Amino acid sequence: MDQITTNPIVIGIDAGGTMTDTILVDQDGHFKIGKSATTPKNEAEGFLASAEDAADAWGISLQDLFSGVNVVLYSGTGMLNTLLSRTGRKLGLITTKGLEDMILMGRGLQAWADYSYADRLHAVTHHHPDPLVPRRRTHGVTERIDQFGDVVLPLYEQEVHAAAKKLIADKVEAICIMTVFSHVNPAHEKRIAEICREEVAAAGADILVYTSHEVRPVIREQSRLNSVLIEAYATSRGRKQLKGIEDVSKKYGFKYGVQTLLSFGGLTSINHPRLHETMISGPIGGILGAAYVGKLIGNDSLICSDMGGTSFDMGVITRGQTRIENEPLMDRFKLNVPTLHLDTIGAGAGMILKVDPLTRKVSLGPESAGSDPGPICFAKGGTEPTIADCDAILGRLNPHYFLGGKVVLQVEKARKVFEEKCARLLGVGVEEAAEGMIDMLEADANNALRRVISGQGIHPSEFTLLSYGGSGPLHLAGCSRGIGFKDIITFQFAAAFSAFGCTTADFMRRHSVSTQIDIGAGASDDELQAFGAKVTGVWNDLTKAAVDEMVADGHALDKIKTVPFLMMRYTGQLEDVEVMAPLSALRSADDMRKVIAEFEAVYAKVNHRVSRYGEAGFSITELGLIATADKVKPVLLKRALGKSDPAAAHKGVREAYIGGRWHKANLYEMNLLQPGHEVIGPAIIEHPATTLVVHPQDRVHVDEWTLLHYTHA
Amino acid sequence: MTSYSKEVIADLVAGTLPWPQTRRIMSAYKDDDRFFKYVAVLQERVGWKDPILLPVGDHLFICQSGDERVTKCECGHSFGDYRRNWKLKAAIIVRDSEETLREIYPNSDLPDPDWMEIREFICPQCGTLHEVEAAAPGYPIVHDFEPDLEGFYRDWLGKPLEPLNKGD
Repeated sequence: MDQITTNPIVIGIDAGGTMTDTILVDQDGHFKIGKSATTPKNEAEGFLASAEDAADAWGISLQDLFSGVNVVLYSGTGMLNTLLSRTGRKLGLITTKGLEDMILMGRGLQAWADYSYADRLHAVTHHHPDPLVPRRRTHGVTERIDQFGDVVLPLYEQEVHAAAKKLIADKVEAICIMTVFSHVNPAHEKRIAEICREEVAAAGADILVYTSHEVRPVIREQSRLNSVLIEAYATSRGRKQLKGIEDVSKKYGFKYGVQTLLSFGGLTSINHPRLHETMISGPIGGILGAAYVGKLIGNDSLICSDMGGTSFDMGVITRGQTRIENEPLMDRFKLNVPTLHLDTIGAGAGMILKVDPLTRKVSLGPESAGSDPGPICFAKGGTEPTIADCDAILGRLNPHYFLGGKVVLQVEKARKVFEEKCARLLGVGVEEAAEGMIDMLEADANNALRRVISGQGIHPSEFTLLSYGGSGPLHLAGCSRGIGFKDIITFQFAAAFSAFGCTTADFMRRHSVSTQIDIGAGASDDELQAFGAKVTGVWNDLTKAAVDEMVADGHALDKIKTVPFLMMRYTGQLEDVEVMAPLSALRSADDMRKVIAEFEAVYAKVNHRVSRYGEAGFSITELGLIATADKVKPVLLKRALGKSDPAAAHKGVREAYIGGRWHKANLYEMNLLQPGHEVIGPAIIEHPATTLVVHPQDRVHVDEWTLLHYTHA
Repeated sequence: MTSYSKEVIADLVAGTLPWPQTRRIMSAYKDDDRFFKYVAVLQERVGWKDPILLPVGDHLFICQSGDERVTKCECGHSFGDYRRNWKLKAAIIVRDSEETLREIYPNSDLPDPDWMEIREFICPQCGTLHEVEAAAPGYPIVHDFEPDLEGFYRDWLGKPLEPLNKGD
């Protein structure tokens, strides 16, 4: 990896809450990573600093970097920050009369989602997120369309005129429209939008109009409402941040448009018409990267686990299937955006440790010290002990090599505060207390992994665990102990794995619409054929919409591949599974049967074959289409295995406290490990951006792809 | 271990602390010195000098007044010894008819005045509404709370009260 002669062609950048990670990839799949603090006010600064860090590692200038690459892809936090800081557009809402209070009531779970278990139980802490539209700018208009799409009450247009006039007088910047069952029949929403646009034009105002059926024509009005509101509320600033990224890229010679990541795992240009689909993109990169590595190592059942400063995210790929979550939460708003499913618990190196002086109960977090002020050992003003401080106290983190030495860890300072605030209260020694804290964190993560796996109904021995994120390898041993994974893998580029995953994505569009198609268990051939025709009709409309958007983004028509999909369930069930259609058009009863057979196969994979229940009939709740176009991807380099002695990477010995006593742990430089090398614990493998702790008698061997395999003794 | 500045406690009492901070305080372990800061904040709010011993309502306090411990309104009006039910010395409005209940529930259903009456306890000096109780007609005025002040200060706050000079 040291004699790179080509220049990078892909830059992948993932801006997280704390750090912005960069990965550079060349046409042969070589890569280098860079890191810098995220700058939420102007993301372009952090973007550039992180890119420069990576360019330095590669040994080229920013100018050379940007002028040479074909793809810049960036997943940022601009929209999320707009939402969190409530600094978006001033909105007005027109909805079906009688539903005006929907905005205040929200979903019950929005009052406590993301809370710790203790806070969930204490209703006094429950609190709805501040609404994006105040009640006084919400207007109900008389109209009603039922679930079949039939007009029950006509639209009272004079009420729409009055509402629009009122909103214009209130000087809103955007009007959102959401009526019930508009996903079945959008006629009223369309007419309301027309009237609003007339009124806006008549008043000579500059106000945007958003309708829920255009943003996401799917069932469940509360999530549909949140989707349209967030789209209207946060996109303008989010797009501005993305535009800022594109501008600095172009300033340094980048010739094309910047791409961003969709929550369901594809790339799109920053001019994407539904930008809220890019809001939950950061952790998604990890799952994409995992799928890619899974192909390499020949296992399609993977658990990916990402531990950073605040949270521990787990994604599951079960026999090649990724789960799609249709109503994810965003800042405690339920949204209607298909998202790769992730389980998250609060567990990370930044977690603040507390000991109750009365009961001596220890609690981890849920607060995190973040990057500012950060742990005590950063000496940036942090006063509360964190897990990272424990890692430093126990010699697991190298005080002079954190972020490659950019931050010198103040171990003594951390030790002093930890002793005073934790160890002394518990009445045990500093090391014992510190290791106990780490054990608790790792036990939390370990339990969470077990829970996620048992939810799949598959034995852990089928799964490979991929561990990444800045603190993933640091706590890998404890997180994975005793579960019995088939294999445990971490990476030299663990800290930028999500950014790496982003670079493995293709350009993508995903269009879908809710449907209500119930196929009886004993449907006749004629009925099946009629259902097939109905499905094909919807797919054709969606194909046109998706392909048109991609062509508008500059993709050649012949490079675009489309795959239709269905969300199906056994009639009466509450959850869908996503089925990739085996055919793009259903012309006969047999074609329809093939689709049903595919659903049953997927269902049996995701659940278990004995849980199939065709006697109930089949329901298609959503039809959709995924359009993709290829992109250059990094290729991991395969090299012959060398000798197992890792002496070439050895760089010294350090005292580290593991398992109740101090050990002389061998230190290795992660980037110098070569295929074939084998490290036996106690050892610490260091990288500027991450640290892998190898417990006594555990082993790490490096395979031909330079992936690090961890084996428990 | 946990501790907040007096300004933060003052904002908390006044209800002007931002919600996220309020929730952080609610979710954390109780701050050790909260009670005394809380009382100090209240002491600054009232216009009199008698030391507050225990708040018993939004505007009602038990305080040390010379050799006595009395229940006192924020305005300074004394309801007498704290061990006696202060409500007996308050001005009372009793709502026990449809007409009087309708005054406070103009738009909704009413309780049946044959089964329940509403009693409002008001400071005779400043007119502050200190307490409202709902009871069956004829039921004696409820004595809500007689605190064990000595026990509370000694066992829970770890700061025993000065014994009173006079016996009761």
